[in-house]
Amino acid sequence: MEDTLLRIEEISKHFGGVYAVNEVNLNVDHGGIWGLVGPNGSGKSTLFNTILGLHKPDHGDIYFEDKCVTNLAPHQMYDLGLANAFQVPRLFYSMTVLDNMLVAARRQQGDKLFNGLFLRRRWQEQEKGLISEALDILDIVGLDELSFTPAKELSGGQRKLLELGRGLMAKPKLLLLDEPAAGINPVLGKRIFEKLRDLSKNGIAFFIVEHRLELLFEFASWVYVMDKGKLVLAGEPKTITDNPLFYSIYLGDE
Amino acid sequence: MDPLLYVLDLVVFIGIFSIVAISLNLEFGFTGLANFGKVAFFLIGAYTYALLSNIGVPFFFCLMAGAVIAAAFGLLISLPALRLRADYLSIAVLAFGEILRLFVKSEDWLAGGDWGLTVAPAISVAGVSHRTDAFINIALVYFCLAICFLVIHYLANAPYGRAIRAIREDEVAAEALGKNVSKYKAQVLMLGSAMTGIAGGLYVQYLHCVLPNMFMPMITFTVWIMVLLGGPGNSWGVLLGAGLVEIFDRGTNILKDYISIPIDPSNLQYILFGTLIILILLYRPQGLLKESTVRTKVQRLIYNGRHTIKNRRN
Repeated sequence: MEDTLLRIEEISKHFGGVYAVNEVNLNVDHGGIWGLVGPNGSGKSTLFNTILGLHKPDHGDIYFEDKCVTNLAPHQMYDLGLANAFQVPRLFYSMTVLDNMLVAARRQQGDKLFNGLFLRRRWQEQEKGLISEALDILDIVGLDELSFTPAKELSGGQRKLLELGRGLMAKPKLLLLDEPAAGINPVLGKRIFEKLRDLSKNGIAFFIVEHRLELLFEFASWVYVMDKGKLVLAGEPKTITDNPLFYSIYLGDE
Repeated sequence: MDPLLYVLDLVVFIGIFSIVAISLNLEFGFTGLANFGKVAFFLIGAYTYALLSNIGVPFFFCLMAGAVIAAAFGLLISLPALRLRADYLSIAVLAFGEILRLFVKSEDWLAGGDWGLTVAPAISVAGVSHRTDAFINIALVYFCLAICFLVIHYLANAPYGRAIRAIREDEVAAEALGKNVSKYKAQVLMLGSAMTGIAGGLYVQYLHCVLPNMFMPMITFTVWIMVLLGGPGNSWGVLLGAGLVEIFDRGTNILKDYISIPIDPSNLQYILFGTLIILILLYRPQGLLKESTVRTKVQRLIYNGRHTIKNRRN
């Protein structure tokens, strides 16, 4: 099991009487693009939020690099190498695009009280490198021209792109992306997936929820299918599309 | 009465309340913590100063002790701050301030109850005029203000400032991006409370006495108006706000003697303050000066550098 990055064992989470996630088991390995699909309300986002540490699971365990992380807070998960991009962008709206990116930077010297005040030389040196990195990523998502625009002035699609950029800025081992291509024009959507594939070859694993199946199935190496909180199918994209069960889940039983 | 002395007195007051206002700006303007209990920390600093100076502790240590104890209480209220929603937190700390005031008022053994304590001035030179005394106080107060201002200014323009602004904008997103939100909140409340404690100490050593009635909830609201008027998230704006509100306060006090109206003039002042808050929030919610952005100079420099390289390639 050396390759396993994220291992989810028997995770359940219910809200009131409804099980949003019901005894789900799944693995994500280092590198590659991993898909998670299912109709609306099948528990995909809840599963993501549970991995992230925003929800505490009712039972079951989550392992990240063979370390049990079930009860860790989101910022501790981030320290281990997990980042995410929310489905509905949660940007820092009054801050500029570049500042939004820089918040996400890993191992900052100057975001601690003492260092921020007294070790100015040290973080200022680091800051220059981080700004270059942030501008590189903004180049990828096509927002570098808007670096100094407040995030609240971005359009819906641009907000999604910045949300994705912020996730990349965190340089995670695993990046959870909740519908990265929603609301983004088809050409750019495809370009982003191509870029993600390049990045995934350098060792970042992407775990992606996406309703644009043609896009996801073209790039993902493994796909999980959820329905009504349960994991119902898993396999390579081709075997999933060949399975009649998959269509009945998405299109209904008729 | 000596008009110059009146102006000097005003300058001291502006300095003291500027310290409280910029500390509230750190908490509310940058971090989004609606601290409606500012007067509690002001009181803690004031009474700590008074009690210690009366047993002969030197000036500087009284001030620092006030800051440390206020910071400890700041840490204490950061605990519910993590669990309560912003509006419930404001009610809780507002009550905390009133409880503290009633406590020192009714516990006679601690600090003289209703009668309060007299406090010796920090630097007393025999036979010195009131004017010189005011000048000494101005130097003291503005020295402390300068230090507090610089601390906040440097923090706000460091990655630390970016992190606390991010927490203000969206706690969940900041947490997911690796910011330990509860730690930041606790730090900010401790730092802000320490500064308010220092201001409290300066206040009583200037007035030479401490009384429970000096710490009515109105102090908190006055400081809030300073921040809202000046511009939350802008330290210079908040200084401007503190100056304007103090002048407004004094101005209406003077005016009281010259105009006659059918209602109590002191109440009129409160009404005017309330109207002012409503007008600011309706017509200029960002305050007189807009929020300052995080130091963009080096960002611009790098950005422009990259673009000239790009253009040369093309």
